[in-house]
Amino acid sequence: MKAIACLVLFASLSGAASQQELRFALHSDPKTFDPLHVEDAASEAVRYVTAGVLVRVNRATDQVLPELAESWKIIEGGRAVAFHLRAGLKFSDGTPLTSADVARTVERALDPKENSPAGDSLRTGQAVPEVKVAGPLDITIRYAAPKPGIDRLFDGIGIGPTGNAKLPATAGPYFVAEFHPGTFLLLKRNPNYWKHDPAGHQLPYIDAIRIDIQQNRDIELTRFLRGELHLIPKIDPDSFDRVAKEKPGWGKSAGASLDSEFLWFNLAPAKSIPEWKKKWFQSTAFRHAVSQAIHREDIVALDYKGHAHPAAGPISTANKSWFNPELKPLAANPARAAKLLAGDGFQLRDGVLRDRDGHVVEFSLITNAGHRPREKAAALIQNDLKKVGIQVNIVTLDMGSLLERIRKSLDYEAALLGLNLEADPMELMNIWLSSGPEHSWWPSEKTPATPWEARIDALMMEQASSTSMAVRKKAVAEFQRIAVAEEPMIFLVNPDFLAAVSPVVKGLQLSVAPPQVLWNVEWLKLE
Amino acid sequence: MIWRRMALIFLVLVGLSAVLAPKVAPYSYSEQFRDSPNAPPGGKFLLGTDDMGRDRFSRLLYATAVSVTLAPAAAALSVLLALVVCAFHGRVLSGLTTIGMSIPWMFLFIILRAELPLNTAPEVSVVLTFALMGVAGWAGPARVLSGSIREMMEAGWMLHARSAGIARWRIAAVYAWPHLRSVAAAQFRALAPAYVLAEASLGLLGLGVAEPVPSWGNLLRDLQHPDMVRENPALLAPLVLLMLCLLALEAFSVRESVQ
Amino acid sequence: MTASGRGVVALASKLARSLAGLIVIVLLGGFAAAALVRYSPGFDVDENAWNTKGGSSAAEASRVRRAQENELLPFYWRYLKAAVKGDFGESESYRVPVAELLQDRAPVTGRLAAWGVAGGILMAALCGWLAVWPRVPVLELVVSGWVALLLAVPPAVLALAFFFREAPIQVAVALAILPRVFGTIRAILRDAHESPALLAARSRGLGTGVLAWRYVLVPMAPRIMALAGVAAMVAFGALVPIEALCDVPGIGQLAWKAALSRDLPLLSALTLIVTFVVASIQAAGELMTPETIHSKEVAE
Repeated sequence: MKAIACLVLFASLSGAASQQELRFALHSDPKTFDPLHVEDAASEAVRYVTAGVLVRVNRATDQVLPELAESWKIIEGGRAVAFHLRAGLKFSDGTPLTSADVARTVERALDPKENSPAGDSLRTGQAVPEVKVAGPLDITIRYAAPKPGIDRLFDGIGIGPTGNAKLPATAGPYFVAEFHPGTFLLLKRNPNYWKHDPAGHQLPYIDAIRIDIQQNRDIELTRFLRGELHLIPKIDPDSFDRVAKEKPGWGKSAGASLDSEFLWFNLAPAKSIPEWKKKWFQSTAFRHAVSQAIHREDIVALDYKGHAHPAAGPISTANKSWFNPELKPLAANPARAAKLLAGDGFQLRDGVLRDRDGHVVEFSLITNAGHRPREKAAALIQNDLKKVGIQVNIVTLDMGSLLERIRKSLDYEAALLGLNLEADPMELMNIWLSSGPEHSWWPSEKTPATPWEARIDALMMEQASSTSMAVRKKAVAEFQRIAVAEEPMIFLVNPDFLAAVSPVVKGLQLSVAPPQVLWNVEWLKLE
Repeated sequence: MIWRRMALIFLVLVGLSAVLAPKVAPYSYSEQFRDSPNAPPGGKFLLGTDDMGRDRFSRLLYATAVSVTLAPAAAALSVLLALVVCAFHGRVLSGLTTIGMSIPWMFLFIILRAELPLNTAPEVSVVLTFALMGVAGWAGPARVLSGSIREMMEAGWMLHARSAGIARWRIAAVYAWPHLRSVAAAQFRALAPAYVLAEASLGLLGLGVAEPVPSWGNLLRDLQHPDMVRENPALLAPLVLLMLCLLALEAFSVRESVQ
Repeated sequence: MTASGRGVVALASKLARSLAGLIVIVLLGGFAAAALVRYSPGFDVDENAWNTKGGSSAAEASRVRRAQENELLPFYWRYLKAAVKGDFGESESYRVPVAELLQDRAPVTGRLAAWGVAGGILMAALCGWLAVWPRVPVLELVVSGWVALLLAVPPAVLALAFFFREAPIQVAVALAILPRVFGTIRAILRDAHESPALLAARSRGLGTGVLAWRYVLVPMAPRIMALAGVAAMVAFGALVPIEALCDVPGIGQLAWKAALSRDLPLLSALTLIVTFVVASIQAAGELMTPETIHSKEVAE
């Protein structure tokens, strides 16, 4: 065993001079290498480092930077964008990349038969933009109405070649050279990548990336600590603390992430919920009382080992451009919670809370099984609410059963989940628009059930259709105020973004927007 | 003899502590001392606390109550079902055991959880989970038992007994049962701990014992993180307890069979 | 017709019946599994639905992909027809033909299981022999203690411990199987040990090898075959968490992932295979029973 280890070590050392290989792990097989059909996290990670895009949003500064497009113009009052491509672009297999490839990619993304998730961001409702090629290097994409952030959209559209090869050629820094399902994939540098550093050296610096499929995070951590992996792109708080202890300085925190953990009550007219319970859930005072009784700081300290921040509302405090700074995280105040409940007709007797009609206040809270932070948060919340006399029954379900309940059968009372979000509030549409399929507390509502839901709808539409940043920001700020005032979703914490990186990796710029670690992969070096 | 007595005393002790858990345990299994998470063993907390500041010793006692009663009950149910089924031995039975051993029973648990109301008391759902485990686990022991029965049917004494015209029930009760008993007991002893562990894996699917109720299964889940064990060897306590129980059961039955 | 000719015919008809039974069992098993999966909650929700990036298109794509799985009977019929030609459909969770997945992964699990079953049964036989033959109570207790220890450790944890120490996982699999077959093996050995025929034979001074063969292995063949079947099932059952936890790219890992994502084509294929293996072991056991030998003797 030792001898083999030595051999491997020597092989990698001797290879190091000529061939540099960055090694890390993903937790599951990527399902697709077609950038337009990416749904799962693993495929997304591969897409980020392989697909060539017209523009790239700098994750550190939030600026839109040129990539395959040398320049672009937003024209016709934000209705259209005209891209001008670099001359002499090529895919990794050597075939030239022209505006025809861009047009074909965009049209494919929009084709209803393709069901491309990437295409969703390009559509506005059912409206589809018109694609017009103006020359081998010029292409215009035109909408009927102004589209906010029209240029940024193309950060997510990987330009692909013709044909449907299993391992398609790419125009990004790397291409997938080998894929061994369940074991590893090997990315090699794209020999035709256009980007060069100021000294004229072709990027990327690192020759290859080996991505192991490693489901077990303890194994991933052990391998990282042994030096077999260079980085862990996302690490949980316990492991982060262990890295910090064993290898001081190797753990990297980007502070609060854009992700949120939250709980909500089922407000849909589900048959499974008794009428009196519906009344509690629909009462804003009840929801506020629950929110006020929860010790968010304990969730931060015990559940996340201090690597999280109490949430102040639907947008993470880390989202500097969009967070409404008027909002402050709610400090736990059981006394105030009790007062709110008393004001709503609830009575506390012998440690048991009863409603106006004498029903014992008890509800079930579902969350996904096997997700330790959520199981623990649920246990903490259960104890917090017990202090105000509310009995919570925790039920952990596998993801399939959970989704069935919250999306289809609507047979649940309260749920605890989290979301990984990106910076732009455009993403919030799915969740907050009352007609949205992912409108948590009542999916696909026919008409907004309350005036405040109608107002949120209006604000969502406003921010989605205006090209003025000021107008959008105002709408988003008011939306956040309403969301906190009505609390249909009770926001708990924003977990910190944590990664672990060996010091041999240079040039890393950790950001809170995904892909937090590898967004500038072409500039990374190994020393 | 001394082993047998020690084993008996140990089993009685475990049983007693399980029954008396609410009286003996210093704290409730769900009480959170949020100021002292991950406390080391000793002082206020005999085995330390977990990451939410819950007393590990109290949790172990309650977990014992859950696992020590339910897992053997489920195992007994499986073996009993197997014995009943084996009464109708033949081609159909062997086919059924094959199917029973091959299909993914896990989905039955998922369906059970879906059919149970969400506000079902945790105790009830735990009992049902183990009961279903017992029912779903009939095929393995049935397979082994039917093998024994077939072999027995060929034995000389059986042919003698049958040709002597002794009633079937009498053959079964007086001659066959003592032979089957050791096989059934072995199956039971293998199944009981298997169910303790199976409950742990079902917990990963949210089908076992849910937070905050402890069980040996979900306490054993902590062993999956080797560095946690290194930091607090008290995590091994449920493993040691489970092992001692199995050992005691074994010591008990060894003597029995020698006699 | 001669007597031996009738014996051959009897054997052939027994073989044919076994084969027919086997096919029926495999088909029924596959159907039962497909029905369980199809009617468990979460079947027709996409596993990525909880992810705003998925959006409505992803859900629609998944709906289109799975539309033909909705009607169970037609699905199963189509599936079987294709399966006969070696096409087990495309895995929903991997987006790769199931046949390809199985081909890649079967050898990994096969090796692990074979080592595990063989090693486990051998070690259990050794332990059983130590516990029964020398008749030393202390030795018996030590062996029992060792077995109890193994029984108390979850197989996956055992395998992880081996994995982190860079020791071979096969040994862990064998150690996981050992205690689960030990009880039965010991019972077999004890029965054999105490059988009057064996006592008589021993007193006549026959060698251990002859004794083991004539008085243990041959008469106990049905029980040993049943045991091997059980051991194979235990191995597969243990390999699911072991492979899932230790990241071994085998069938067990596939099964775990397939179950979590309600991957009907993959799970159906896996059940068909597992049922086939178990049923074959069973059929082999039945064909080897003294009954067959016996009937031949009677025929002669």
